[in-house]
Amino acid sequence: MAVQSKIDLEIFQLVFEVITKSENADTMANQLTQVLVGALGIKGATIFVLNPELEELEILASSGLSINYVNKGPVLVDKSIKLSSNREPVIISDVTTSDRLQYPDKAKEEDIRAIVSLPITLHGKIVGALRLYRSQVWDISEQDVEHLQVVAQNIGVALMYFRLANAVLSVKETVNEVHSVWL
Amino acid sequence: MDKQKVLVPYNFTNYDEKALDFVIRRFAEDKGVEVTFFNAYTPVPKIELRNSLIMEKISSNLAYLQQKIHEHETGIKQAREKLIQKGFSSNRVHYIFRALNKDVAQDIVDLVLDNGFDIVILNRNPGKITRFFTGSVSNKVMKSLKQVDVYVVT
Repeated sequence: MAVQSKIDLEIFQLVFEVITKSENADTMANQLTQVLVGALGIKGATIFVLNPELEELEILASSGLSINYVNKGPVLVDKSIKLSSNREPVIISDVTTSDRLQYPDKAKEEDIRAIVSLPITLHGKIVGALRLYRSQVWDISEQDVEHLQVVAQNIGVALMYFRLANAVLSVKETVNEVHSVWL
Repeated sequence: MDKQKVLVPYNFTNYDEKALDFVIRRFAEDKGVEVTFFNAYTPVPKIELRNSLIMEKISSNLAYLQQKIHEHETGIKQAREKLIQKGFSSNRVHYIFRALNKDVAQDIVDLVLDNGFDIVILNRNPGKITRFFTGSVSNKVMKSLKQVDVYVVT
């Protein structure tokens, strides 16, 4: 029997409302994880950005997870979910039967039973990840995975916007500090 | 002499712990100093859609948020307790825990200006790249405050 899809147009509307109305990346990422948790009825959600030098995923925002789990330690790109490329969605429907987790004991303590991880890419490069956590086994539909990939792609675009906006603001502040006598 | 008021924005990371240790080393013996911890959580978005069923569903599924808020408040109380155990009297350590108004940096600046804090203790992870997207809280706070001592623990 086909698995029923959960993500519909209303959820997309919500997600894009959050992305387009947020005035900063912090609020956008936090509210996006809140909306995903609430709309999908899952345990938690986290948005990571990639630190390419350390090959670690840094948490930008997280909802539904405990402080202890969020601070569990560095999340390494290759080891966090062991996939050669990290470029495809990773679906761990049942963590108790998977050997792909970096912190399996911590997941168990946190009552996490399933994880869906989606790469956030920009210009073909990985810039982060969107991860969703559920307390039950999760047979997610292919359509929902595709929809979540669209969400992840849009997070990538929004992150690029905030990155550029911060750079422009920084330049503006620097220019404003220059007294007219020097111009 | 008026007491010196110290604000410590606190967000439960390892660097916040380092800032906490700094506060203990620097101010535990100084009875003329009052410390206030500050943490702000992001409120749930208020979005109006034509069909409000989805928002109702979200609200009912967001009961966990109350739990998370409670966990954070407990965490900030634990930080306060740590100071008390290290020699601060309880009337010298306070905390402010509330929903975010604007952004973290602006909320810190507003709090300092509205409540007359003399010192702010921030922390900074130098290798962190999320600040490229969110902007650096410590930079924004330092640029916005005058006549206030700002310490940055790294």
